[in-house]
Amino acid sequence: MRQQRRKFLKHAGQAAAAALAAPYVMRGYAADTINIGGLYPSTGSMAQIGQACVVAAKMAVEMVNNAGGVKALGGAKLNLILSDVQSDTTVTRTETDRLISGNKLTAVHGCYASALTLIASEVCERAKVPIITGSSSDQLNKGRHFTFTPFARASQFAKAQLQMSKLVGDKPKVAVVFENTAFGTSTSNGLKELAPGEGVEIVMFEPYSAGFTDAGPLINKVKASGANMLFSVSYLNDLILIVRTVKQVGLNIAINGGSGGFVIPDFYKNVGKAAEGLLGVAHWNHDVSDLAQKLNDEYKKRTGEFIFEYAGGLVAQTFMLKEAMERAKSADPVKVRDALAALDVSSGYAAMAPGGKVKFGPDGKNVYGHPVGVQWQNGDLVSVFPKEDARKPLMKS
Amino acid sequence: MLETVTQAVINGLLIGGIYALVSIGVTLIFGVVKIVNFAQGEFVMIGMYITFFLATQLGMDPIVSLVVSMPVLFVIGLGVQHFLIRRVLGLNDLPQIFLTFALSLLILNVALMVLTPNYRTLHTSYSDAALHFGGFYVPVAKLIAFGVAMLLSAILWVFLHTTDLGRAMRAASQNRDVAQLMGINPHRVFAVALGIALALAGAAGSLLMPFYPAYPMVGQVFVLMAFVAVVLGTLGNVMGALVASLLMGIAESLGIQFIGADSGLIVVFLLLLITLAVKPSGLAA
Repeated sequence: MRQQRRKFLKHAGQAAAAALAAPYVMRGYAADTINIGGLYPSTGSMAQIGQACVVAAKMAVEMVNNAGGVKALGGAKLNLILSDVQSDTTVTRTETDRLISGNKLTAVHGCYASALTLIASEVCERAKVPIITGSSSDQLNKGRHFTFTPFARASQFAKAQLQMSKLVGDKPKVAVVFENTAFGTSTSNGLKELAPGEGVEIVMFEPYSAGFTDAGPLINKVKASGANMLFSVSYLNDLILIVRTVKQVGLNIAINGGSGGFVIPDFYKNVGKAAEGLLGVAHWNHDVSDLAQKLNDEYKKRTGEFIFEYAGGLVAQTFMLKEAMERAKSADPVKVRDALAALDVSSGYAAMAPGGKVKFGPDGKNVYGHPVGVQWQNGDLVSVFPKEDARKPLMKS
Repeated sequence: MLETVTQAVINGLLIGGIYALVSIGVTLIFGVVKIVNFAQGEFVMIGMYITFFLATQLGMDPIVSLVVSMPVLFVIGLGVQHFLIRRVLGLNDLPQIFLTFALSLLILNVALMVLTPNYRTLHTSYSDAALHFGGFYVPVAKLIAFGVAMLLSAILWVFLHTTDLGRAMRAASQNRDVAQLMGINPHRVFAVALGIALALAGAAGSLLMPFYPAYPMVGQVFVLMAFVAVVLGTLGNVMGALVASLLMGIAESLGIQFIGADSGLIVVFLLLLITLAVKPSGLAA
């Protein structure tokens, strides 16, 4: 009898425990993980930046999950599936295909370089999976319905650069030097077209072949042109030589180094003190908002460096995706796409962009998207333009 | 106008000194051993990385590190001659060409793998300094590089003209068979020639480091100019290569100044074509 009672108690206890636990188990089943694809070049010529993007992408997913996942889906956690696109357009096509067909993906983000993102967004369009990207090519906004670009476009960068030249003097005389392949030519032509409208005079417009041995003759020419502002559309190596030579010549000229390789911590490491006062443009900077600064502190703790443009923007993008899932109450890619298209946020990490507002227009472009002008000050990259985004005054050299 | 031209000439002359160090090495190897060393640029790259790591790990000044980079590259030169080039000397031209070409690709790709494609820059107290006089400026790091390059060239010239080994090298370069009949040991002479040529490449690497970033492909930038200088200054002629390198530096600089920054090389190759049309064997023939 005693034995029986013990047995009964044991069984009853088990049953009760099971009954108590049941809702949690049930919720566990309902809250499947949500797969997000991340396409970045972690090998090849863009590896340096691609690998930093991967670090930021992982950190962003961790932040969403630690804050309780997607609440509308029972606290479902995000699961980041990464793929290396190897800085190569052909690989990007096959990897995007493979990632989408091999996994049940809700959304994709990538690929840093516009050339790669253009390919990935094409594949996503066909597969009807939304892709969100910080790439700046204006072409990404043409005829696509599943591509979302929350940050400034390339054409806006050129305009901002020209407007910034007026910070330096009332009558800016700009010398544009650019490397003579597609990247340099298209960017500098954009500058040339917009210059008259912005009231900026271009006194020198000079292509050069990338990988020169000596920037001396080129800077000699800039000096002779009488310019008071230099735009350099260059790869990192040439830009380093140009900046150093300007200092050697003792030429008193403001330099705008654009974006890309110019706004990463490595630039300062390579150029050192000569980088002080140099201007550039970025679609995101770590001082755009209090949240961005908080994020920067955390990133610095992990990597020892400030969180650069693309990586910071990537965290915001992950939260935009999360926000869209909350509104769609679904992990279905097409429903998430529709929710993204209707997104309109002005607080939280999802709105962590210059201006602090995100709302996508019919072309997938954030209608509030604009670049910030940045300047290297005491080893840090500081927002100085436009007025409403400036965090510190312009440092005059 | 005159000021601009003078500054362009100064710039050209200074970078020409670096071209000279690379091209003298190539022409010395060609003159003595009769092979074209396609890997010369990669040895410049090795010299740069040696200098970079000595500076970052031990705090050694790039100019001081010449005493390390030159001997190290000299020994590598002896090894390349002894283990590789010696094996293909009796054969026809093709294996000789492919040997140094393969060596170039091998070193380049190993460097990409081990050292990564990132740029590495050194900052010395004189990296960004320049001497100013009148309206002109002379970058200190390049002036030092130019001075050391000229000094090394002078030492090489004295060595070739006053020592027995130097005379033996010149003899071997003029006529290998006759030199051998006169009792000159060609393999010893070849090994020393390779060693000296690579040591000069190492010196170029050390001298470049204060003002030029190191990366695995960096050798390719300089080796093209070196090959043009070797042809322009008559194959195998050390003094010719030196003069041609300086001329090319000036031509390039003037080209950038007055034609276009993407056409500096047009003037260089025009100079080469005109010279070859008038003097087919080069300036020093």
